[in-house]
Amino acid sequence: MPSDPSPATAVETAAVETIGLTKRFGDRLAVDRVDLTVPSGSVYGLLGHNGAGKTTLIRMLLGLTASSSGEIRLLGLPVPGRRAEALARVGALVEEPRFHPHLTGRENLRIVADVRGPDTRTRIAPALERVGLGRRADDRVGSYSLGMRQRLGVARALLADPKLLILDEPSNGLDPAGIVEFRQLIRSLAHDEGRTVFLSSHQLSEVEKVCDSAAIIDRGRVLEHGTIDELAGGRAQALTIGCEDRGAALAALTGFVRRVECAEGLLRVTVDGDARTAAAALNARLVAAGVDVWHLQLERATLEQRFLNITSTVGAAA
Amino acid sequence: MTLTVARRMVASEILKLRKRPSTMAWALVFGAASMVVYYAYFALEHASDPAHHGPAGGVMGFARGLQGLAILVWPLAAAMIGTEAGAGDIAAGVFRDLAATGRPRLALFLARIPAALAVTAGCLLVGFTVAVVASFTLADGSPTPAVGMIAAGAGWVLLADGIVCVIAVGLGSLTGSRAITLTALIGWELVVSPQLLYASSLGAARQALLDGALVRIEPRPIPHGTPHLSTSIGMVVLVMTLWPLVIAALGAWRTATRDA
Repeated sequence: MPSDPSPATAVETAAVETIGLTKRFGDRLAVDRVDLTVPSGSVYGLLGHNGAGKTTLIRMLLGLTASSSGEIRLLGLPVPGRRAEALARVGALVEEPRFHPHLTGRENLRIVADVRGPDTRTRIAPALERVGLGRRADDRVGSYSLGMRQRLGVARALLADPKLLILDEPSNGLDPAGIVEFRQLIRSLAHDEGRTVFLSSHQLSEVEKVCDSAAIIDRGRVLEHGTIDELAGGRAQALTIGCEDRGAALAALTGFVRRVECAEGLLRVTVDGDARTAAAALNARLVAAGVDVWHLQLERATLEQRFLNITSTVGAAA
Repeated sequence: MTLTVARRMVASEILKLRKRPSTMAWALVFGAASMVVYYAYFALEHASDPAHHGPAGGVMGFARGLQGLAILVWPLAAAMIGTEAGAGDIAAGVFRDLAATGRPRLALFLARIPAALAVTAGCLLVGFTVAVVASFTLADGSPTPAVGMIAAGAGWVLLADGIVCVIAVGLGSLTGSRAITLTALIGWELVVSPQLLYASSLGAARQALLDGALVRIEPRPIPHGTPHLSTSIGMVVLVMTLWPLVIAALGAWRTATRDA
């Protein structure tokens, strides 16, 4: 990575990089030596309980609060050294979106657009349309629901034409339909338009459904990070098999796998190695034994199981 | 930062202020409605007993109006507008979103001052127009103010209330609270400052008070209760520069360093 890249070359580098990032509030350690690398063009989740340090981390990234120690690079640019340059292409939604309630949605966006730069006003209308607020843009924000304010917050973040979007609990206040739309929007921003989305959430399902990779944070420390598959448990070691003649199947598999048991009309098979690798061999063995297989599925731990496992381990150790 | 960006930032600040109904309503009550009430009262008094009460208008009415309201009531309008400009973003929770744009916080602060001054000047212009119109229409044969006197009066009013406005922007930015800022400013303006000005035991130290400096350069001094200190013009300039400068600097410092 170039030591001092221009914003143009920064596209190729990690969108967010922190090294030993730490924040103390008096004696309390809110963020503890966090090393994070968010690849460009991906959706990256920061997953943690309420109070885990997610918002503090995001506030440090945006220069809203100073770090106690450590380094930050956004789009390859050091923060706070070249903060203005970096944040010019960063859109952010931090905590509950706040606006001047006496102004309309459009006027609130105009205020931020005017602070950002002379060309930004042209992005107001497209941003409002994109989040579905085009028809309510000239109503006072005081009359908006929380979900509408959340959408307006996303529109405000899009004004920067951002290479990097930093969203703190972005689906708070959205109704189920809004959440689905929002997930589509996030994935489209990253995968169709090549933007990087860094979002924090305490909702495991949201991170699992939207993000490519994630970090699990608890008590200010990043405990694990990786792709969602890796975090959810990596290799599956079990699979379920549905077949007509379970007796013949049991006979064929006994001794070939670590364990096999009947459950809810299916066979649950545990193997010693990677279940994905074993699946084809198991299927071949069953077919050779004359068993017709109509269902074969890898069993993987969910992110929720993994998350609770990791964070409860830390809680018990503390 | 280009001039276009600076101009637009100021325009946005003006938008925030002029579309805030409570602030604008109170500013117009203090800045304009008070003037109407003031002249209406003196006009009725004169009409009921012309032998003992002079006309509400004319030169004396004009000067009395400016002294009575420009230094007592209009600063409240300036303070309300300045406070809203200084503390509005923080109180609304919007400051962090502006800070997250990467625009230097000093620029965010500096945009507030011309915006607040422009809105204050607009409000006071309405009140000043009332004063001028009243001084002619209610003169009842007495001499009316000359153009020079009207211009000097306008300049003095803008200077006096502009300084209060800048102080309010600075203090609002420093505290981040409308309530604290307004309480402090009104308490100082209506209670503490007059008490100190009358405290002859303070001697020459009173020359450091802003109200004393403003009274010293009134365009048409007429007898009234406020002590007239023999402050040098140099000292007046110094006082009128340092008060807004120091408080604005504190506001700028807090804007630049506060956790958003």
